[in-house]
Amino acid sequence: MTALQERPPEDIPEEITWEVELQKVGIVRRILNARKWYGADWWFVAISSVLVAIFIIIAVFPSLFAPYKPDALVGPSFLAPGAYPPVPVLVLPNISSANTLKDLAVPAGQPRPGISVVQGGNTAGALNDAAKEIDNQIKTEPEGLRLRPNIDRYASVEEALQAVVDGKDAAAVVESDEFAALKAQYPTLRQGESLTGGSKTAGGFLLGTNDIGQDVWSRLLWGTRVALIIGFSASILSLIIGVPLGLMAAFIGGSFDRLLSLVMDSLYAFPGLILAIAITAVLGPSIVNVIVAIAVLYIPTYYRMVRGQALSVKEDVYVEAARSIGARSREILQRYIFPNVIPSVAIIFSVNVADAILTGAGLAFLGLGLPPTVPDWGIDLARGQRFIQNAWWMITFPGLTILLVVLAFTLMGEGLMEIFNPKLRER
Amino acid sequence: MPEDILYSIRNLVVEYTTRAGAVKAVDDVSLDIRRGEILGLVGESGCGKSTLGKALMRLHTGPAKITEGELWFDGRDLMTLPIEEMPEIRGAEIGMVFQDPMTSLNPVQRIIEHLTETIQTHEPEVSDKDARKRSEELIERLGIRKERITEYPHQMSGGMRQRVMISLALSLRAKLVIADEPTTSLDVIVEAKFLDLLKELQKEFGLTILLITHNIGVVAELADRIAVMYAAKMMEVGNVDDVFAHPKHPYTQGLLRSVPNILLDGAELYKMAGAPPDLSHPPSGCRFHTRCPFVMDICREEVPPLEAIEGAQYAACWLYPSVMAKRQEKDHA
Repeated sequence: MTALQERPPEDIPEEITWEVELQKVGIVRRILNARKWYGADWWFVAISSVLVAIFIIIAVFPSLFAPYKPDALVGPSFLAPGAYPPVPVLVLPNISSANTLKDLAVPAGQPRPGISVVQGGNTAGALNDAAKEIDNQIKTEPEGLRLRPNIDRYASVEEALQAVVDGKDAAAVVESDEFAALKAQYPTLRQGESLTGGSKTAGGFLLGTNDIGQDVWSRLLWGTRVALIIGFSASILSLIIGVPLGLMAAFIGGSFDRLLSLVMDSLYAFPGLILAIAITAVLGPSIVNVIVAIAVLYIPTYYRMVRGQALSVKEDVYVEAARSIGARSREILQRYIFPNVIPSVAIIFSVNVADAILTGAGLAFLGLGLPPTVPDWGIDLARGQRFIQNAWWMITFPGLTILLVVLAFTLMGEGLMEIFNPKLRER
Repeated sequence: MPEDILYSIRNLVVEYTTRAGAVKAVDDVSLDIRRGEILGLVGESGCGKSTLGKALMRLHTGPAKITEGELWFDGRDLMTLPIEEMPEIRGAEIGMVFQDPMTSLNPVQRIIEHLTETIQTHEPEVSDKDARKRSEELIERLGIRKERITEYPHQMSGGMRQRVMISLALSLRAKLVIADEPTTSLDVIVEAKFLDLLKELQKEFGLTILLITHNIGVVAELADRIAVMYAAKMMEVGNVDDVFAHPKHPYTQGLLRSVPNILLDGAELYKMAGAPPDLSHPPSGCRFHTRCPFVMDICREEVPPLEAIEGAQYAACWLYPSVMAKRQEKDHA
């Protein structure tokens, strides 16, 4: 029988588990293996983070992506997505020698030529713009010609064209396809040049135009900035007020805690949008007031969450252990309680941004909070709602954008919540 | 106070305020802890031994309060210090190791941060580099590889975490370490290693250790002296060898007989009659009289003082003439 020899403990090899193995692999594989640790779906977080990043980039540099300024009147009203804008053309009698608008200019002092248009269409505006441009140009030339036509408005295309046939007006300005359809009835009329030169808005508008001829796509992109400013500022404001209050309540306790909790719970008891409406109604319309109103809504969320977590962390043995090694209250708050609370705060923040964007849009939809000149999705929605029957694109695209932004932020928040704090999942 | 006594507890009373009224978790306890010894404090769950341990650092919060007594530590009465100055003593002079190593370290701090923070809290002049070096040396001495010092607590085993807790106490050369059931949540092999380490460290660093436990075996293995608590009262204090060989107090006798012993094969394990009393309504006289096999009339009426019975062995029981003599002395006076 051989004597049992005692082995020194260092000789015994460490058991190789996946945790040990994981320490030896690179960062990329660790991230890919992350599913193994938490079981949460990383793809959710990945996709929504990309979306959020895109929205943030757009919000920072809207002018890089938007073709027009948000408040510029760039085209005809109610142009459907992708449709070509109608080209206003000059319609002249066959006998007329003129071919372009410029040819209708007369020396100063002579009777001004009459031009007929259809009331309420885009042609009058186009004619006015074109005439002004030409007039400004020729007025400096030596011939002394001016172009200041009398614009006669008629109820229909037929009446406008008849006025030219009857000789009441020198020419008419109508949309090219309208004239093409009626050409057979007016053999004495011919089509001249288009007023715009035909190329300026030939591409149409990606998402159409709204009731006053603004580009819906550009307004959406510029609206991202306003939405994110409201979402982030309101969430940050409520965070920097709610978190310290929650920490203080948990740490000081006693009647301070009870009073503050009472106030916060009463705030929490209000239906969110109603409280925001009340606050904005009192403060008046401006972005800052909207941010304040929404921030007030979310302060109790942070307060309750931080207070609850801080209370439970405070009772943990390691806080007592910290006191037993001589840590003071400030250090305990700073190094023990705060770091343990902050992951939950980050998660709530992400979900709150989504909620704040939604609330901000809701306020704007109701006509509260934002001045009407601000490019905002909520305002676009409210405007689109009036024309929902003949311009579906005015309300659909802002609505979808709000949905997408809120979805991206919420998914990111919920995904992060699952990864960092599995305990919260049930709530 | 004699030179060889590091910590002297005099007539300590700790009360918990509850809805049912004040409950004395530690009631008129006096105890001396000598320099360089390991003193085992044993008792059943809820007898007040952990409360006593925390009271030594005035670590109580909330409903607990020290209402009476003196705490003489190294020539100073800690009770006369303002509570704001206690953090300077905690950690630097008295360290503590808690029962559950799983929860006694901050989950969001690395081990190295725990150590350097402890060092720099008390010695702000120490540079980050020096603090790190000291921590590494210490952690290696305790048998944890230096590389693991940057890990988080959850990456370590229970035994390692408990060693980290000890290192926190050692990092500032605390004179007294209060170990509150340090091995309760460890398995027997890790427990044995940890106890060996504790013994080594005690010799190497000249530590004084107050070992709070309900495990009589651990005390027998490790301690120089033993103090037995029952229902907030100190029942018996003495050298481990004396107390184990000749327990004086009936409670200690019962306690020692309740320990399973493989040599008493087949014999029925002794079970003490009754249950520990409710501390909100403690029994009159000796707290143990309701369960004592030798109960006398006087036990129901008067609280026996803790008196020397034989040499350095003290007990609070009317069975012994020296305790009786104390009573008569008091009567004469």
